[in-house]
Amino acid sequence: MKKLFNDILNMEGVDGIILFSFKGELIYKLFLSPLPEEPENKGWWGLFIRSLNGVREADLIFEKSKFYIRKTEIGYLIILMGIFVPTAMVRLNCDMVLPALKRMKISKKGKSIFKKK
Amino acid sequence: MIKKVLIVDDDQEMLLSLKEGFEKYNATFSVLMAGDGLVATEKLKQETISLVITDLRMPRMDGFALLSEIMEQYPEIPVIIMTGYSTPEMERLAQKGSAVGYVEKPFMIDDLAKQVLATLRKESEGGTLHSVSSGMFLQLIEMEQKTCTIRLLDKTSGKEGVLFFCDGELFDARTAGLKGEAAAYKIFSWDEVNLSIQNECRQKEQKVHRDINAILLEAMRLKDEAGEAEEPEVVEEEIEEIEELSEELEPETPDPLIRIQTKLKEEVGERCGLEDIYQDNSWDGFMAQTSRMGAFFGAGKLKLIYLDRAEPNDLILVPGYKTSVLLVNSKCPRDRIITILSE
Repeated sequence: MKKLFNDILNMEGVDGIILFSFKGELIYKLFLSPLPEEPENKGWWGLFIRSLNGVREADLIFEKSKFYIRKTEIGYLIILMGIFVPTAMVRLNCDMVLPALKRMKISKKGKSIFKKK
Repeated sequence: MIKKVLIVDDDQEMLLSLKEGFEKYNATFSVLMAGDGLVATEKLKQETISLVITDLRMPRMDGFALLSEIMEQYPEIPVIIMTGYSTPEMERLAQKGSAVGYVEKPFMIDDLAKQVLATLRKESEGGTLHSVSSGMFLQLIEMEQKTCTIRLLDKTSGKEGVLFFCDGELFDARTAGLKGEAAAYKIFSWDEVNLSIQNECRQKEQKVHRDINAILLEAMRLKDEAGEAEEPEVVEEEIEEIEELSEELEPETPDPLIRIQTKLKEEVGERCGLEDIYQDNSWDGFMAQTSRMGAFFGAGKLKLIYLDRAEPNDLILVPGYKTSVLLVNSKCPRDRIITILSE
């Protein structure tokens, strides 16, 4: 699963990725530096995911970081990165990951391939 | 913001030892001291205290009486009890009085400091939001049927307040010596606040019995009335002077929609793809959700959201007192617009 997101994670300035189901359940996460707390301990992710309300893509721009959110076949992929990372490159790399995620959904073994880190 | 911890003990040596021992944490909290419960109650009126550490046996007003006073007047302030005369009965009474911690003397100062830091962190365990309107966070609380304590700072006046919610219902409010509905009216009249959310409500008794919407309406009505009452009478002879002064002043801050449109026109021109621009409070809840996510990752203040909903137009949301919404077409130079608007 890390291999699937390798190209995204290897981009300079990308700090991590997190994949949620449409119900807000954590499917996968990988961060390049430790977080103060594990995201799955927070109960509001479901509300946040639902508030996206079917959005295809989103750019969330903050003072110190930005997030790129992409809707996939199995849920929402959220990429955390520094503000100077070229989002267009991140989008392109996501385009390449999406077909693989689609195949995961179709595959009977899809769920077991993802391990929580 | 440096938080304030009030230490109450009639033993001067203990007070000074603790003050000295806590100095290395002064980036997080500062220490105030009181020699007994009565002095402590005066300090609580004068300062915004985040935590009280109190001895139990003191003259004039002991720790139990102080604990009871704090629960009544300042239910949002956690209390740690310290005592050298510990018995199981005393510990039970302290916890019954809603103390959050209990330490037996002698203790290691660093152990107490850890307890203090953990308790202070709880103030914002649910997240912090900056420059939000009361409407925005109320939607958040109501949506989630949340039980929490919200500490607010009015960015205009610098005043502080506390709201207590239980299952999404407003239970109580405190600000500047006011309690209950009177405090709620005051707090909901604040236009722009910073707030932090603690995921518990220590106020168990409901002191506010009106619907939140009714309180909001009343708060706005009272604010309008106060605004009219405070309007000074301008003597005719002063009008010329005022007009002269106003010419020297910088122009008023433009409407956010005009500011955004002007910026896009200057930097991108007609190719910006802007089809419509308006303000819409219905996005406040989503903005609050997003801000909370950003707070979790330490991303700082939310500046802008770009949404592609697989529709002919994309949306750009700019936070503010009211969320500004820009409708852009497919020709919009997305990344350039994002860079310009988030500067």
